[in-house]
This record gives sequence, structure tokens and C-alpha cells, in this order.
Amino acid sequence: MAGYKPVAIQTYPILGEKITQDTLYWNNYKTPVQIKEFGAVSKVDFSPQPPYNYAVTASSRIHIYGRYSQEPIKTFSRFKDTAYCATFRQDGRLLVAGSEDGGVQLFDISGRAPLRQFEGHTKAVHTVDFTADKYHVVSGADDYTVKLWDIPNSKEILTFKEHSDYVRCGCASKLNPDLFITGSYDHTVKMFDARTSESVLSVEHGQPVESVLLFPSGGLLVSAGRYVKVWDMLKGGQLLVSLKNHHKTVTCLCLSSSGQRLLSGSLDRKVKVYSTTSYKVVHSFDYAASILSLALAHEDETIVVGMTNGILSVKHRKSEAKKESLPRRRRPAYRTFIKGKNYMKQRDDILINRPAKKHLELYDRDLKHFRISKALDRVLDPTCTIKTPEITVSIIKELNRRGVLANALAGRDEKEISHVLNFLIRNLSQPRFAPVLINAAEIIIDIYLPVIGQSPVVDKKFLLLQGLVEKEIDYQRELLETLGMMDMLFATMRRKEGTSVLEHTSDGFPENKKIES
Amino acid sequence: MAAGGGGSCDPLAPAGVPCAFSPHSQAYFALASTDGHLRVWETANNRLHQEYVPSAHLSGTCTCLAWAPARLQAKESPQRKKRKSEAVGMSNQTDLLALGTAVGSILLYSTVKGELHSKLISGGHDNRVNCIQWHQDSGCLYSCSDDKHIVEWNVQTCKVKCKWKGDNSSVSSLCISPDGKMLLSAGRTIKLWVLETKEVYRHFTGHATPVSSLMFTTIRPPNESQPFDGITGLYFLSGAVHDRLLNVWQVRSENKEKSAVMSFTVTDEPVYIDLTLSENKEEPVKLAVVCRDGQVHLFEHILNGYCKKPLTSNCTIQIATPGKGKKSTPKPIPILAAGFCSDKMSLLLVYGSWFQPTIERVALNSREPHMCLVRDISNCWAPKVETAITKVRTPVMNSEAKVLVPGIPGHHAAIKPAPPQTEQVESKRKSGGNEVSIEERLGAMDIDTHKKGKEDLQTNSFPVLLTQGLESNDFEMLNKVLQTRNVNLIKKTVLRMPLHTIIPLLQELTKRLQGHPNSAVLMVQWLKCVLTVHASYLSTLPDLVPQLGTLYQLMESRVKTFQKLSHLHGKLILLITQYFIFFQVTASEKTKGATSPGQKAKLVYEEESSEEESDDEIADKDSEDNWDEDEEESESEKDEDVEEEDEDAEGKDEENGEDRDTASEKELNGDSDLDPENESEEE
Repeated sequence: MAGYKPVAIQTYPILGEKITQDTLYWNNYKTPVQIKEFGAVSKVDFSPQPPYNYAVTASSRIHIYGRYSQEPIKTFSRFKDTAYCATFRQDGRLLVAGSEDGGVQLFDISGRAPLRQFEGHTKAVHTVDFTADKYHVVSGADDYTVKLWDIPNSKEILTFKEHSDYVRCGCASKLNPDLFITGSYDHTVKMFDARTSESVLSVEHGQPVESVLLFPSGGLLVSAGRYVKVWDMLKGGQLLVSLKNHHKTVTCLCLSSSGQRLLSGSLDRKVKVYSTTSYKVVHSFDYAASILSLALAHEDETIVVGMTNGILSVKHRKSEAKKESLPRRRRPAYRTFIKGKNYMKQRDDILINRPAKKHLELYDRDLKHFRISKALDRVLDPTCTIKTPEITVSIIKELNRRGVLANALAGRDEKEISHVLNFLIRNLSQPRFAPVLINAAEIIIDIYLPVIGQSPVVDKKFLLLQGLVEKEIDYQRELLETLGMMDMLFATMRRKEGTSVLEHTSDGFPENKKIES
Repeated sequence: MAAGGGGSCDPLAPAGVPCAFSPHSQAYFALASTDGHLRVWETANNRLHQEYVPSAHLSGTCTCLAWAPARLQAKESPQRKKRKSEAVGMSNQTDLLALGTAVGSILLYSTVKGELHSKLISGGHDNRVNCIQWHQDSGCLYSCSDDKHIVEWNVQTCKVKCKWKGDNSSVSSLCISPDGKMLLSAGRTIKLWVLETKEVYRHFTGHATPVSSLMFTTIRPPNESQPFDGITGLYFLSGAVHDRLLNVWQVRSENKEKSAVMSFTVTDEPVYIDLTLSENKEEPVKLAVVCRDGQVHLFEHILNGYCKKPLTSNCTIQIATPGKGKKSTPKPIPILAAGFCSDKMSLLLVYGSWFQPTIERVALNSREPHMCLVRDISNCWAPKVETAITKVRTPVMNSEAKVLVPGIPGHHAAIKPAPPQTEQVESKRKSGGNEVSIEERLGAMDIDTHKKGKEDLQTNSFPVLLTQGLESNDFEMLNKVLQTRNVNLIKKTVLRMPLHTIIPLLQELTKRLQGHPNSAVLMVQWLKCVLTVHASYLSTLPDLVPQLGTLYQLMESRVKTFQKLSHLHGKLILLITQYFIFFQVTASEKTKGATSPGQKAKLVYEEESSEEESDDEIADKDSEDNWDEDEEESESEKDEDVEEEDEDAEGKDEENGEDRDTASEKELNGDSDLDPENESEEE
């Protein structure tokens, strides 16, 4: 007996959004927790040490939040004016912050009053950072200067006056205690070396620089202004790539913990995730307001975004190890499965394999027993038609191939026929289903022509179908016209290629056709 | 931080726009908007009463304003005899309005005269004026400024009476004590001055950020056992920029306690605060705080000593638009200011935009913790304003001045500055004299509407939106642009698209072409436009074929079904028309009676007999189908037996199903029980 062959379900690729590893990874966060701050959140920084607390700078306060707390576990409010850029030291025990009045203050995480106050800037200090040796602090201010401070003596060591506009961002190298970079509104990013009194490198960004970032290796530099630009420092500041994926100024940058992904937040209310190998956008998040600050926790466990309206949005990664705890049904021992499997065939033995039991779908079982109407009913069930229309279409196609589609469609009452028509109305305009469904529609009309006008519900459906087909025809007519235009364009191309003796491009078009079909 | 830093860059800027209700009767609401206009609205009927533009409105924008107290007006009015209008009943009308500017000058504007009364400049401030307070009865004016000084003015002589340094940093707010002998000033700290000697009486800690408002909340001390010296024991309230807490302080007799007595918490920084004074011990203070997020919080509290926890509001008021239909969600309308009416039981709310606020009186009777008022403000626009303006002044504009409008570089904006409303008013007046015929005026209006159609305005922003949307792949933005139906608009937009966005646009269109024909038709319009407008550019692209290959294939595959689809369409049309004819027949049957339709049935038969044959050919394949029709025929025979009146139709041939169908269908409305029977037989 020949086995029954299940119906092959044709899968059709859809152009458009694809599900990649990245979308799965970045979508795997819980709904955000929103915390209202006292003003625009200008900086968020995670402590590099467990328990990975984070410091949020907003208005004249710095709040420290625990990883899952929604209330600040600590607050530094000893600022006379707006505070900026609260940053943790590498060991997570000290915190430094700038202020609108030009002061730089150093706090112990456990204390309340500042440990050190560095006075020297005459205008607002928007950026501060610790150097790699932990004993110095770099600060950049609106008085165009960049200063290096010594923590033990609380003294100024060096001053650089090379920028010609506000210094608004900066960061210190993680490897070399003497190197740090700053970005300024004079459109430049400069790299300074504490061993010399001048900048060692300067790149022209082209727009006011809002944020800079050094890769952990120190080889690549990312600067953000209107666009995000990546520079190769080892080649002396060569522009590698310019990312124009935001339509407003980019205000903050951040690297994922693996270093494989770069995140940028912008005033256009989006966070984009780039791959650092291809520099293509692999994912994008939407937020409610313009984004000013962005930070990722250790192992990307948490994404914290601060916005202009003072809202802090905290997203936690969904925990994965939940399913493991379910009690498992006791299975037969492994031994029973492999029993006799490793028996070697002797000379006179004839090996008879037990036929493998095939699992058939319900509609396949019906088809196998020639219950065609029932099979069609099964796939016309709303759950099937909405979720997997391709199965329905494949069954219709199979019935048509067998020549029994008319029989299967016939003899339905008002409710069933309106189900069929609903499916047609929903899917007739899809090019991948159209050939099969048009055929089915014709058969339905032929069958039910005599009873038209008996049920207002069915009549309405027919009217709808007619409207749809009319629209589709109009659309295709337009498309035909457009195709004519494109043919014209392509024709000019062909002629040009014919004249120039480039053979490999002349067959580009047919080749393309093959790929598509 | 180009745009986002608005809040963080300039912490000294006050949150809202300076505005105030006129004292006591609250008949007027004065508002100095950011474009330099001072507008005075009538609160009773929500009309624009006056509009005034100071000559230096761009260089020295108005930073604060204050109405002169009513008592002062009454006292002063006899001194100014020049005004005629003042003669009757004007004595209690509020008149003078003091405006502080960003350059340090103070202007006194008279609402009765509708023009500037005097200027206070000499010896005053040389920096931004932060706050102005009128003294209740001495006719003095106090002002404070970024130049760290507080100045006492004599309004009659327009001279400085006294000027002293108020703080080490800028002084941001002032308030005069209820008895008029003390002055509160807020700079880095809050200080209480004795006005006679100009000495500091008390210090208070203040806020971390500049104080935006100071107000006394009580006029009597809480316990009356002690002798009252006019100030001790009084409470006052302070709110600061970027601070969600309003602090309440008490003036104590001993100078030790410097911290706040209690505090009120609100959802965002306070923009406008109004309160009702409590005159005795039992009466609670009512407080209305308008926040930057557009909500009003109402507090009702008897001030009685120290309270550790911040108090939350008793009632919150919000205003939202009605959501039209299912999809559009209601949008919040920001409340701009709120003031208690004199009866203390209702609240005047000012909401909407700064340029056309709506003023409404809302009764406060409910105990509900949250009130959301639904208001439609879309319909109260310009026309109201034009009719209501009584006196309007505009600055003299140089005709050579250029107006810069944002747009994409390379394309010059086509927008001209909208003519100020006043011109229209003036032209109306003039028209009376110059005798312009109505015809001419109508003609002029027509031209106007043609020139300033929507397209001009929108195409200017559509290319920008589309370019940005393509750049950031913003779905909503692209939807907004691409779903337009206006062909003219599409053409203009495509024309202005920068060249480098053409290929991304085509790719986006490719993605959208594969949808439902309803939306895809629009995309074809775009595609056609792009192809026609940028044909020359596209034909120069070396990699055009690979770029557009997908698009071409997609379209071609879709068009493949055209023939079959047309065929199907033909069938459907036939079906539908048949249905409609049937309907007409039944309708006429109902109205006219049963004799006439017989002839109509004949007509239908003759027209469609050929179609029936072709149908038969197809139907030959399935026996079931044929059987079906036979069944139908026999049924119809039965029907006609029943229908004896119709002699003509019965006489015709029996074989033809089509004729029978129409005849039978006529009857089927009557006996529908045949229908299920039919179905069961088929199975």
C-alpha cells in the first residue's frame, strides 16, 4: 500500500522586517518602569562593581538607585545649582560630578558631604571623568578649558585651553592613565596626553559634539553630534564611517557589554542599536520624549534612559531560567530506547524495519480518507485562516489539483459560505495567494449563482468582494502603466550598456529575474 | 544640547510666561507672551480686551508683570484729570500694570488709556527684572533683578526712592507682608527685610534652585494669646524652579528655626500659584498650583505647626480634548493659570495656547480627588479675536526686513509672515471711507485663498519630514507623509526631495507596494511621480537595474493575475447587477402591484441567455451542479404554480433557468422555508 503523502504547505517569504538574533535579544526586556525625576535627566551612569547601582543626574540632585529599586537608595543634594555628569570611579566607591556654578565635587558613596571640591572653572562644568589610574579627574567646562585635577592634594595639575567653544563631553581612556578625549561645540574632538601640554590628536566632527566614546581597546573613537561618526585613532584620526540614522541631534552613546553593539540615543526619541562590525542598524527602540542620557548595566541586564521631560525609563531583561523548575514526567530509561538497536546483522538474517509512524495533521487525515468537505472546513476555521492562511490556500490548491474543489465548496449554508467569502476578501489581494483564490472564487460564483439574493449576508459579501476586485484591477492597471515607465528607463540603460563594452552588466537583469523567481 | 537642554541650560528662566489676574474682581487676565505682546483678556466672556506691543519688545522681553492694587487706583484717580473716560465708574476699575523687562527697565501700562503710562528707568536696574510687587497703600513699587539689587520706586514721580543690595546672587522673587511693613526677598536664601530701615530681620534656608514664587498665606498668627506685632507667627509659601516641592515657612520670634515648616508636593515644577488667605485660625488655606505639565493641584490645609511628610493634593484638575471616534485618543490641554474667584468656591481656569487662551469658571464643589474636564478648543480660533479687539497696537515694521523660516537648505521658503490681524481690522475701517465694492473685495479674497492654499505650506514641510523619516526609518513619520491622497501635493513633494534620498524612497515604496490595494494605490502614485520627475537622474544611475530589480519583479508578479482577475470581475459584475435588478423588481412589485414585472422578466431573459449557456458549459463538469439547477428549476415550477396571476411568464419556455430564477426569487422572500430544504437536498 502506497503511503499517503501529506500536503506540502508552501511557504512564501515576505519582504520587510526580518526577525534576527538582534531583534530577539533586544526585544527580550520587560515593560519599562518609569520614574519621575525633578528635571531633565542629563546623565545616567552604572557602577562598574556589583551590586551595579546607578547614579542619575537630574536638576540639582544626584540619585543613586539600586538595580531593582524604584526609590533612590541615596541622594546627593548638596548642589547650589544644576548638577551634571555624575560618574562612578572604576571601583564604584567614589562619585564625581560637575555643576552649573563651575565647581567639581567628589563624593564618597557612603558619605553625604563632598570629599573634595575642585574650584577653578569659571563656568558650568558639563563633563567629568576619572582617569585610568583612579587618582585624577578630568573636567571640561563652558569656559572652553579642560582641566586635570589631582585627588589626594585636590589641586589642579594641568589646564588645556585649546577648544574655542563650550566643552560638553569627554571620556578618559580605560587603559592609559594619561590619555583622555574631549568633545566641544567648536566641532572638534581632541585627544590630550597628560605628559604633554598640548593635544596629541584632533579630529573635525563637522557639528557641535554632544557625546564621545572610546572603545575599550582605545583604537576606535565614536563622536556624536548631528550624526554619529567613528574614527580610527591608530591611523591618526581617519574617519571610518558616518552613521546618519537619526533625524535629530544624537545626545548620548553607549556600548553593549560584549562590545559588539553600539547604542545611540537622540532628540528624535529613538535609541538605535548598531552592529560594530557592519555599522548597520540592527534594532531600534522608541521612547516618549527626547532622550538625553542612556546607560546599559552589566551584561545588558538593564537599559536606563533619561529624557528631557524628567522621566527615567528602566527596562529589565526577562529572566530565562523559569521553565527549568517545572516537574518533568518520568520517562522510560535510556536503555529501553536503544534495546536491540545495536544488534549487528548476521549473515542469514533479514532485517525488517518497522515502518516509522508518520504524524499527520488533522486536515491531512481527512484528505487521506477523502472527506474533502471536512478537510476544507477544518482549514477555514477562523484560527487557521488568520494565523496560517498559507495552509488554507495549500489545501484549496490540493483540492483543485484533485479536481474536487467544486464538490468541497458546494452545499454550504449561509454561515459557511460567508466564512469562505471572508477568507477570499481577506486574502485575494495578496499576490502569493491570488492565482489559487481567483480560481476558487470563480467556482464559488458558479455554484452559488442560482441562490443569489436569498441571503442578505452573503450578498453583502459578494458586493465587498466585487469592490475589492475592482480596486485590485485599478491598482494593477496603474502598476502596468508604471511597468511601462520602468521598461523605458531600463531600455535606456540597456542601450548604454550595449555601447560600452561591459558584458557582465548586460545580463544583470535576467539574472535578477532568476533570483526573484 | 540644542533643543533638549531647554530645561537644564538656563535654570534661571521662569517656567511659564508672565501672567496675572487683575486684583479683587478678577475681571481681566494679563498675559505677556514670548513674542513680546502684552494681551489683556476679559475673564467674563473670554474676549481679547487689549493688545499692546512695547517698542523694544524683541530686545527687552517682558519677564514679569503685576497689577496695581485696587485701593491704590481709587486713591490715585483724582490726581489724573486728563482722562475723560475715567469720569464715571472708573475709580474702581483696575488700571495700571507694571511690566519688568529683560534689560532692566520697568514699564507702567494703563489699561484705561490703552497706552504706556510711564517708564521707570533712571537709576534702576541694569539687568533682567525678576519680580515686581506693588505696595498695598503707600503707592510704592518694589522690584528685584539679576543685578542683585532691590529697588523701591515712587510711582508718581517715577524716581528711585531707595536701592539696596539684596543678595550675593540675583534676587528672584519678592513679597510684601500683609501689614505692609516687611518685605520678603528670595535670592540664594530667603530674607525678611524691615522696610523702614532696610535691615534684614530674618533668614530662611530657601531652595536649591531659584525661587519663582513667594506668597504670604496667613494674615493672623495661629495662636492669638501672644501680642501680634504684624509679622511674627505668619506663614508664607515658596516655590522654586525645577522643584516639585512647595515649602511653607513660619516667621518665628526667635531666630533659630531656619528650615521649612512643611511642604506640598506636586507632579511637576509650579508655574502659577494662587491661594486664598486664611483670615482666622479655623479657616483652611486653599491653594491652587498650576504645574508645568498642565495640571492644577488643589490643596486645602489648616496651617498648624510642623509637619514632616510632604502633603499631597486634595484634588487634581486636568483638561483634555474629546477623543473623536475610536482611534483618536483624547489629548491633554495644558492649563496655563488658575485663580480663585472672590467667593473662594470657584476657580478661574486659563487653558489652551498662550496666543488664544480660553478662560473658564469652574465650581469646586466635589470631593473627588481627580477631575478631568473635556473641552473642545479646536473651534474657538481666530474669528473671535478679530471681532473683539478694541485697541491694538503693532510695531512699525521695516518693509525690507526678511523673515527667516526653517526649511531644507537650498529651497527657499515660500511662506510670508502672516499679516497681523490688526491690518484686517484697519482695512475694514478704511473700506468704509474708500468705498471698495464688495465685488472687488471678494475678488481679492479669492486670489488670496488661491495663493495661500494648503499645498504651499505643507510641501515645505513634507520633503523635510520625508527626508527625516527615511533617514531614521521612522514609521509614523513616513506614514504621515506617504498616506496623503493629494496628487498635487505628492508631485510637489517629490520635486523637492534631495537627490540622495530618491533610492531610499524607492526602497521604502517597494516595501509598501505589496499591501492591500487600498493603500498600495497611493504608493503607486508616489512611484509614478518619482519615476516621471526624476527620470533623468535615475537613468544616469549605473546600478539602476539591481536597485530597481526587486521592485520590477514584485510588480510583474502581481500583474500576472490581471487577466484572470478581470474575468472574475466580469462575473462578479454580472452577479451584482442581477442582484440589483432583482431588487428593483421586488421594489416595484411592492409599489405597483403584480402585473407589470412579468414583462421585465422577459427582458432579463433575452439579455442573459447567452451567458447562461456559457455557464452551463462550465457546470457540465460537475454533475452535482447540474442537478442543483434542475432542482432549482423544479422549484421554480412549483413557485409558478402558486403564482397564478402571472400568466404571461408561465406561457414562456420552461427550460430556461435564468427566467425562473428571477421569478422564483421574487417569491422567495415570502417563503424562506424552502431555503434550508434546498441545502439539505444538495448534500
